[in-house]
Amino acid sequence: MSERLEEICSIELPTGEAVGVHRRRFTGGLGPHVAIVAGIRGDTPEGTRVAHAVARHLSTQHDRLTGTVDVYPCVNPLAAHHGARHWPGFDLDLNRRFPGRADGHAPDRVARTLLDATRGADMVIELRGAHPAFREETQAHVRHDQPVALERALRANVRVVWRRSAELQGSGTLAAELPGLICLEGGVGNRLTDGVGLELCDGVLNLLVVAGVLPEDALPFHWAAIQRPLVATDEDVVRVRATRGGLFLPSGRMWGEVEVGTPLGEVVDPIAGETREMITAPVAGRVLAMREQPVVYPGSLVARLVAT
Amino acid sequence: MSVVFRLEAPYRGEYALHRLTFGGSGPAAVAMVAGLHGNEVNGIQALNLVAGMLRVMRPKRPVHILPCVNSIGADEARKRWPFDDRDINAAFPGDPDGAPVERIAAAVMDATNAELCIDVHSGATTVREHPHARVPLSGPELEHARAMMLPVVWRRRGDRYEGGLVGAWRGAGREALQVRGGRGLALDMDDATTLARGLVRLLAHLGLISHQDTGSASHDTDHVQDYRSMAGGFFVPEVQTGERVVVGKLLGLVRNPLGGEPIEEIRAQKAGMVLAVRVYPMVHAQELVVRIAEDAT
Repeated sequence: MSERLEEICSIELPTGEAVGVHRRRFTGGLGPHVAIVAGIRGDTPEGTRVAHAVARHLSTQHDRLTGTVDVYPCVNPLAAHHGARHWPGFDLDLNRRFPGRADGHAPDRVARTLLDATRGADMVIELRGAHPAFREETQAHVRHDQPVALERALRANVRVVWRRSAELQGSGTLAAELPGLICLEGGVGNRLTDGVGLELCDGVLNLLVVAGVLPEDALPFHWAAIQRPLVATDEDVVRVRATRGGLFLPSGRMWGEVEVGTPLGEVVDPIAGETREMITAPVAGRVLAMREQPVVYPGSLVARLVAT
Repeated sequence: MSVVFRLEAPYRGEYALHRLTFGGSGPAAVAMVAGLHGNEVNGIQALNLVAGMLRVMRPKRPVHILPCVNSIGADEARKRWPFDDRDINAAFPGDPDGAPVERIAAAVMDATNAELCIDVHSGATTVREHPHARVPLSGPELEHARAMMLPVVWRRRGDRYEGGLVGAWRGAGREALQVRGGRGLALDMDDATTLARGLVRLLAHLGLISHQDTGSASHDTDHVQDYRSMAGGFFVPEVQTGERVVVGKLLGLVRNPLGGEPIEEIRAQKAGMVLAVRVYPMVHAQELVVRIAEDAT
């Protein structure tokens, strides 16, 4: 097996300095090609941690790989440098720039280079973090009309596989350009979360087994330890919003079972402290995401439930 | 002035969407909107100038003015809605039960229910734009834009307005157009005044007010060329917005920011009028430095 660190693109800065976008390529045969992409936004360090954890394991599995695994630990290094979601200076969301342009400015060029490098892969896994305001259970997102991606995502060691409509994925995203992409996320935005990195790392390694580039006995755990996720459609994922502004104080438990009417939290007056609104579960199910940044406006999302 | 929408804002009371209405009764003829991006103050200034004129020239039919939609962003010199850093102009047509920016967008749609909607913007914070109207290649919006006699009318393919307030109204079958001038985060008085005069000319053209203001015909084109730096560096412009250029005219130089050695000369490939110039000099490779509204061939 060979292991190489490659620069796929160099971002020239006005001062003359340059910052590289890198991938770690692990090659062990002529088998399938898998791409693992992290850090499209700069506020997703969990994805970068998982990418390196996967790479570290691959480094110990010399001669076991039967294909190529490309690990892109952070494709938006300038944003990650200060933990920002958008590409600094341009103030652009890189995950709204795909397919990008080969002759464009730096964000468009990186988007194009990444897309060209991953388009032919047999499996593409995108590692995201949660939105900075939320804590998320581990989940995989696949497009609703991609049965192969769904089948694979069921073995990604997550709580939920969410089959999303193409519209909900948004235009300009890497997922919109690569319909079979599996997106994994979880934890707290812009933070590392206990347990989540390990869960997602195990999930990615298991997906490498599913893809046929890693033998099952090369896993650092027994395959039976992989979680069996719920499968949810867009209709099953229920967004709970505040109707009053204030501070949202959560009381629900992540992945806790709720019935209709189970308290999820309250919105209090940020100065007087009085309760303005009690927020309860509108459906029976489980808590998939809970707001951690407490300031809310009317209409702010405070929780996401998976109806069961 | 009335408050057409309120949103409870933690710590600071409430967000209020203000609308000024001038003129008689009946359905609104025109709605003008500025400040969807909180740091684009030239639109705010332009609409306040228009409001000042309409106070003394009572329009024959109602004209709505929303001078500053993203007022909390304006307070903080931010383009997007500060609470969650979302772009209100990307939230149209909005949702009255959705997230805060979606509620605001839905309220703006309700508040701009008129035969014609005009959205006023500035350029980005790094680029100064000459006052101009952006309209489809043909149709009533083009005629409205020509009546404004702004320095430039930029005719664009319809598919370049997929989103935003203008796109939402066009999608609903209404007339809508965007005018722009100046730069974000800065008050460019000449540009704001030019925009305001154009808007007042349009109201006169529509027969809503009696007003005589001579102007010259716009530079009317569907050929607009972006000039980008080939390399990163320090861009020093040699032209100003509104300036006429000929083929070969030096538009600017990209220099090494550490020592000043020239890296690249950027010259006009066609004659036309300078529509935009980068004013923040640090540029990355392939960033816009000059935009030319080319002469018709």
